[in-house]
Amino acid sequence: MDVVTLRLGGELMAIPAECLREILEPVPVTRVPQAGNFIGGLINVRGVVVPLADLRVTFGMTLTEATPDTRMLVLELPIAGDEIVVAILADKVHDVTGLDPSTLEPIPPVGTRWPPDFVRGIGKWQGGFMILPDLERIFTQGAQKGSLSAVAEEGV
Amino acid sequence: MTKTILAVDDSPSVRQMVRLTLTGAGYSVVEAVDGQDALEKASAQKFDAILTDQNMPRLDGISFIRKFRDTASAVGVPIVFLSTESHEGLKQQAREAGAIGWMMKPFDQAQLLAVVKKVAGA
Amino acid sequence: MDEEIGGLFRQEAAELMASLERGLLDLERAPKDRAIIDAVFRDLHTIKGSGAMFGFAALARFVHEFESVFDNLRQGTHGVDQAVIAVALRSCDHIGRLIEAPEGAEAASAELLDALRLAASGETAAAPPPGWSLVFRLGRQVLRLGGNPRLLLAELAELGAADIRARLAAIPALDALDPQDCCTGWQASLPATVPQTAIEDIFLFYRDDMQFNLQDAASAPDLPAAAQPPAEAPAPPVPAPSDPVPVPDPAVAPPAPVREAPAAAPANPPVAETMRVETGRLDELMDRVGELVIAEARLSALAQRFGDPSLLAVTEDIQRLSSGMRNATMSIRMVPIGSIMGRFRRLMRDLSQTLGKPIAFTTGGEDTELDKTVIELLADPLVHILRNSADHGLESAEARRAAGKPETGSIELAAAYSGAEVLITVRDDGRGLDAEAIRSQAIARNMITADAQLSQSETFRLIFEPGFSTAKKVTELSGRGVGLDVVKRTIETLRGQIDLASEPGKGATVTLRLPLTLAIVDGLQIEVGGENYTFPLAAVEECVELPPEFETEGRSSSFLNIRGGLVPFLRLRTLFAIREPVPPFQKVVIVSAGGQRIGLVVDRIVGNNQTVIKQLSRLHAHLKCFSGATILGDGSVALILDVPQLVSLGRAQEDRLRDQHGERAA
Repeated sequence: MDVVTLRLGGELMAIPAECLREILEPVPVTRVPQAGNFIGGLINVRGVVVPLADLRVTFGMTLTEATPDTRMLVLELPIAGDEIVVAILADKVHDVTGLDPSTLEPIPPVGTRWPPDFVRGIGKWQGGFMILPDLERIFTQGAQKGSLSAVAEEGV
Repeated sequence: MTKTILAVDDSPSVRQMVRLTLTGAGYSVVEAVDGQDALEKASAQKFDAILTDQNMPRLDGISFIRKFRDTASAVGVPIVFLSTESHEGLKQQAREAGAIGWMMKPFDQAQLLAVVKKVAGA
Repeated sequence: MDEEIGGLFRQEAAELMASLERGLLDLERAPKDRAIIDAVFRDLHTIKGSGAMFGFAALARFVHEFESVFDNLRQGTHGVDQAVIAVALRSCDHIGRLIEAPEGAEAASAELLDALRLAASGETAAAPPPGWSLVFRLGRQVLRLGGNPRLLLAELAELGAADIRARLAAIPALDALDPQDCCTGWQASLPATVPQTAIEDIFLFYRDDMQFNLQDAASAPDLPAAAQPPAEAPAPPVPAPSDPVPVPDPAVAPPAPVREAPAAAPANPPVAETMRVETGRLDELMDRVGELVIAEARLSALAQRFGDPSLLAVTEDIQRLSSGMRNATMSIRMVPIGSIMGRFRRLMRDLSQTLGKPIAFTTGGEDTELDKTVIELLADPLVHILRNSADHGLESAEARRAAGKPETGSIELAAAYSGAEVLITVRDDGRGLDAEAIRSQAIARNMITADAQLSQSETFRLIFEPGFSTAKKVTELSGRGVGLDVVKRTIETLRGQIDLASEPGKGATVTLRLPLTLAIVDGLQIEVGGENYTFPLAAVEECVELPPEFETEGRSSSFLNIRGGLVPFLRLRTLFAIREPVPPFQKVVIVSAGGQRIGLVVDRIVGNNQTVIKQLSRLHAHLKCFSGATILGDGSVALILDVPQLVSLGRAQEDRLRDQHGERAA
């Protein structure tokens, strides 16, 4: 399968290319009070109001200021039977690459700080490792009353 | 002359209830197990009324009504659509397809007789 | 003629006519009173005599005949009835016209006299017994679909229909006649004792597509056969359904169109100037208007920035046009709620039969309009609520009798405007809600703890929570595992609210509050801590300065005195965890919902704008304070504040404050 590789919180991540609708230069974000940090913003994508999520909150990464490389990726994800449009932040987007799903390895039970529920597997890329986040599960839980902030805190 | 009614339903128990009720009241009843069966039987014989269910294998009730109404033998044959009350929209579709009336499921024998009498006469 | 004497006659005639009219009206109430009949006769006689003397020949001729009719009545056996009175009153008016303008009026004399004689002859046709007068015409396709008019007529006859006649006026000439078309109409009269529903039930399958005119014969003087042209066939030429081709007998049915009483059955009802439009196109139009409004806001922001007067002028034009376009588009989408009320009549009728409870179902406010999306989504919740009222709310006829109530339970469905909301109420006069039973049920289901302090309305609202059901026995209607929580969910999707009120033994009222539209509203944009939010303008009552003593957040009272009324207020800054420093001169926006007011403290009022409502993503559906989002002129997103939610937050705070005061006092 094709994946988009991106850097976030110092880690390399991969998102299935079929989910990706577009990549945006950062646009103004409207904070959503009481929504928590994970999906705490809204952006205007050509007249459509799209929630903006920050996977760094999910994975308990340090939040840093935006840089000239920062991008927003608009994704379309199947969540609980519906296609939901959501944007995520990336510190830098690399490129689209092929990934053989059979080479994916499960996340090691010890020695990582990632909440294992939210990782589909670990892949290899250019001699390093990359994480495939389980976006469906992350956002399904995110849709359930912002419970994700609690989950994310456990991950820290 | 004995009036003949075609009862279309994939449920044998519903067909039995219809048959017993109507034969008891002096009608003659022909049964069809689904829309396709009904289409064949209704093309071969002129019925005084047809009662049809919606959800059936091969051909559903509304599609049956629609196809049957396209044939010449359908002229003047009243069709009663047996619908479940939760499907207001279906009833409308059945009307548009060419049903003359409808009956809510579940119905009892008295209701069934009243409706058949209404569309086919005694 | 001597004008003076003529004038005197006119005056005398006016008095006589007034006396005559009085006499006729009295006679209507006491038809056999000889004294009144004699008085009427005397009045007529005097008018005739004086009229002839002063040269009103046409008047004299007319009144002479009029008088003869009454003379017959006076001597004959046939009493004075409604029909006679009706024609006599018209004749009385005619006398006035014969005095004012004898030449023009006389033409009508003969017709009136014919009617008068016919009415007085006592023929049933002329003086229909009180009862129903029915005129109907089935849909053109009905024979092809197996519809059988003969069976309908047989059913009518079973109800006691008399004088069934075919109405052949709409049958086209033979060469244009398709024998499979049903062109024949029928008329019949039925005894007054037949209930209206029994007549309507006969046409149950046909009502969607037919002309049906059922009137109380007494109140419909134009309908009796006396008003029918004699060309109507006396016998009912009913197409026999067993014959595949029901050709009307040409001997009875002259092919040429026959004159038909227009009031009875308008063969061609006036065509409303409407056209059908696919709803998808309306949605698209609304989307385009939404985009236009957003683009206009951007243009407006740019024009403000550049300050070029001609650019500003064009911008104002565009603003005006887009605002007009928005209103026009929205009005196209508005649908009267009556459009879905019809199907509830049928539902209630069926429920009444299934449950064996007599139910009088009434509707009101059918003209109230809502956005079509709201209407569509509303149908299912209303079915649930109505079914619940019929099944659980209304008692059985026996129980009602025992409770001293009329056996027939009443359920009323009504809609009305209230500000930017529409209130839809379902009211029954049943047993009412049992707060204690609801409470113990909720405790049994672990929905609340045994020591939970709930107000009555909070308790009532529990029945809309998932998993709640007080039905002791599972009835055919309610035991389907689908509860009232579905209602609550749908209404919340529509950004509406449910209220419940009940008085034990007297009934319950469910009130749905719904926004008029889900698409575009007028908004009031405000700013707090550098963030922009929008209020639906219709919910805003006024904006006031925050009094200096409230500038900083204190623990003192959080009420504002607005013209003598105490209004609780909330600081959006606190509510939304904004840490920016507090600017001077904060404002308070006073909003109301459900008849309650609260104030919301903001930094700055930005101004009014058209607000295209964008639904929030499912990922944000749990947020209570926002009803949606919108896009501002600079392209940024602003959240729309959910006023009813904020109001209930404010009232909750008020309750807390009151409790604290109470404790201190105690």
